[in-house]
Amino acid sequence: MVGAATFHTAMAEIVVGSMVLATICAIGCSISRALPVSEINNEALMVTMDRASLAGSVLALVFLPIAILSGNMAADGQTESALLYNKFVYSGLALGFWSSFVIGRVRMGAKLWEERSLAILQSATAGIAFLMTSMASSIGGKLVRGESLFDVLPFWLPSETAAILPLWASTSLLILGITSSALVFRFTLPKITRIE
Amino acid sequence: MNRSAIVLLICTTLIITPGSSLANPGGNGDGDRDYSCGGSCHGDPALSMPSDATIEITLGNEAFSGQAVAVHVTIEGISTPTNIIGIFILGSVNGNSDTPEDHGWHLIQDPNGGSSNYIETKPSASASITATWVLLSPTNPGIHSLYAGIHHGSYSGDKAYSGVSEELEVTVQDVPEGLPGLANDWIAPSFRVSGDSSPLSISTRNSTDIRVEWMLEGEWNPISAELSCKENLEDVCNDWEVSIPATMGDANILYRVTTYNGTFAIEQPWLKMGTAPPPFEGDVWSARAHSFAFSLLVISFLVTLQARLYPFIEREGTDQTQIVVSSEMIRSDENPGWLWNPETEQWVEDPDYHGGNE
Repeated sequence: MVGAATFHTAMAEIVVGSMVLATICAIGCSISRALPVSEINNEALMVTMDRASLAGSVLALVFLPIAILSGNMAADGQTESALLYNKFVYSGLALGFWSSFVIGRVRMGAKLWEERSLAILQSATAGIAFLMTSMASSIGGKLVRGESLFDVLPFWLPSETAAILPLWASTSLLILGITSSALVFRFTLPKITRIE
Repeated sequence: MNRSAIVLLICTTLIITPGSSLANPGGNGDGDRDYSCGGSCHGDPALSMPSDATIEITLGNEAFSGQAVAVHVTIEGISTPTNIIGIFILGSVNGNSDTPEDHGWHLIQDPNGGSSNYIETKPSASASITATWVLLSPTNPGIHSLYAGIHHGSYSGDKAYSGVSEELEVTVQDVPEGLPGLANDWIAPSFRVSGDSSPLSISTRNSTDIRVEWMLEGEWNPISAELSCKENLEDVCNDWEVSIPATMGDANILYRVTTYNGTFAIEQPWLKMGTAPPPFEGDVWSARAHSFAFSLLVISFLVTLQARLYPFIEREGTDQTQIVVSSEMIRSDENPGWLWNPETEQWVEDPDYHGGNE
């Protein structure tokens, strides 16, 4: 039987790998639309990158909850450090950004890249989502190996101190999130259709 | 062809890169380990090399059976001074059952404040380091051996270096009758929580009095601590409470206990006590709720932003009846079912057209 920690590592690797592909392709789509059409920068490249970003992000989105749940099991009901608490928070942020990326792409279709502002929003969403995922993964490295690839970078998002919310505050925030999501989908769903 | 070559080059680089990376640059953490670290690169003859560093192991004070003794390990000339180094104190170098505990010794404190025979640390800028273990000597008198070993890597990451000191023969003497010392079951605390000024409990044996001196690590002038006996016995007292000031941040306190039996005194080795951060009070359910709340709030915000930036283009489904009614439309026989709007210069559907049966 494989332990929760080992299973979590395998899931996290799938998520990070898929997200690297999705992020590069999403940013590539924006750049491709900004640059003039050429022999290399053609429609076929655009279609390939768009589909790869969608496939990568959907795959990651499927495995991300599994990675989060297995991480929960590996944590064994303990949040004995700010690092672990922040890993939960960054995982949630990553899930939010990746879900938004996929929702946007699925609802608006491939032509969203034709709209400059939407293309920038979509690629920025992918970039931030990848940063959040990398942070969550790096915290995993910090917890297990005491070091992370982010150590060589000159900046580091907050991870060793946590803004701990009491349970009532977290629950209130969760209710606010559920309510705002329901309202947003209720009022935007009829308006958005695929861009032809 | 060029594009294929670039792709092939990138793929080859990606495959080769992990192979040349360091195996365990962050170390494996402090712990009780045998010298060969079963299965590690340092135990593999194909990967390991003898270290150039000089390793010296010395005894800090006379060893009496069951009494505390300090063992100093000094390492000089380390070839990778900026990298982590692993230091062992060993009872043998057989490759298994090497720890001092396996040979009758009992570890009270390691140089990092724990109680392991293997610790990881970084050398000073001069590529040297002195690490001190405090052990209880074996209870059977006689000659006992101790060794010091090191493991470190190379800057290129391709070699695992190992080194071991000469054997240190320790003559453990019989304990004189009533020799005062630390209790065998007393464990020196490794850490105190930051800001905690509660008294430190020290257990001794055969002691009529004790003296405790403390100083911050790096200082040279020890200060005598206030202490009181927890028992109300007339002669011997073996349970003490010592007031050592609270520490903050990364401060380490060194303290030394001198045990007395009448006028006879035994000075124990210096012990180290670190400062631990206050216990983390986060709740796992709070973290989970916090995480999913952020997730939903981000989705709400970004989907709203997507809707805001979404281009609202007039669709085919839009009702154009009013436009048709209020405009001067031109019907053309060449385009049945369609009307020409000269104002907008567009063809629009003829609401009166019913498949040519008007």
